[in-house]
Amino acid sequence: MTAHAGDAAVPAPPHSHRGRYLAVWIALLLLTGLTWGLSRSHVPGFAGVAIALGIAIVKGTLVALFFMHLWDRPGPSRLVLLSSLVFVALLIGLTLLDVSTRSPLALPPDADTAPEALRRTILEEEAAGRRSPPERLPRATP
Amino acid sequence: MHSAVAHHFESLEKQAEAQRLGMWLFLATEILLFTALFAAYGVYRFLYTAAFSEASRGLETWLGGVNTLILVTSSFTVAMGLDAATRGRTRRTAGLLGLSILLGAVFLALKAFEYHHHFAHGELPGRYYTGPIAGSGGALFFTLYFLITGLHAIHVLIGMTVLAVVAVRCWRGAYDAEYHVPVELAGLYWHLVDLIWIFVFPLVYLI
Repeated sequence: MTAHAGDAAVPAPPHSHRGRYLAVWIALLLLTGLTWGLSRSHVPGFAGVAIALGIAIVKGTLVALFFMHLWDRPGPSRLVLLSSLVFVALLIGLTLLDVSTRSPLALPPDADTAPEALRRTILEEEAAGRRSPPERLPRATP
Repeated sequence: MHSAVAHHFESLEKQAEAQRLGMWLFLATEILLFTALFAAYGVYRFLYTAAFSEASRGLETWLGGVNTLILVTSSFTVAMGLDAATRGRTRRTAGLLGLSILLGAVFLALKAFEYHHHFAHGELPGRYYTGPIAGSGGALFFTLYFLITGLHAIHVLIGMTVLAVVAVRCWRGAYDAEYHVPVELAGLYWHLVDLIWIFVFPLVYLI
């Protein structure tokens, strides 16, 4: 059986992770290049977002597993990270569900998802100077 | 028993496990701190999709890309530093952590260059936005842009400070092959800063 901590006469030679770190680093550089290159081809709509976030999740998993040693260390650290990710999913998922299922009239009137006629009126008034943009205060006069 | 073991711990290994768990709990709170901003980004991106795409396309993507490569590389040098520490070569660890700090400084310098560019073009948060995008979408994009990248930059600064303290202690021989938990925990923090940037990069620059 393995020696108990403290009574091992000869400490086990430390296992080097240099090869693994190098491989992960190269993979991260390549994936960064890939996501950058793909973004230049402007994949439209949801697919583009899904590809970019998918590559980010792969990169993040590599960092967490190998640079942050979750691969070698089962136990409480993994549990803490996974439970924080559950709350990440709840926070982002439920917030987006709320906003995406509201009545269009309950949204900011100049939003893309607001009723088209209302939105156009507001943008036209703003362009004509009859309305100051909603997020901005009137310019201070010097 | 090693002199670094506090009196209420049975062994160095048990103490190290407790320290790791404490660090991971802290990192979980950091993840949720940034998640709140990502959720806000998600909401306004949903509401102002066109304005957000336009504002995002106006950013210098290559700067974000180069900064990603720099942070990923600094994470690699921190990991190599920990590897040197596990073999007791703590002077080498100090050097590698120093290199990581330098890479962090280059990251911040590029970020400052980018901020300067935004300031010059009126791309400021909230009501100070005077850029070309009509409606409140452009102002909201730059509010979230500065909140997310600014909070991240503060974390880079804190990470550089932590790495510097650990590097000096490494150089002075405070750690050895048996006890080097602070190198590991400082590394965990730095990797988290890298991890968050890995998600900031596509959200802000690419989509």
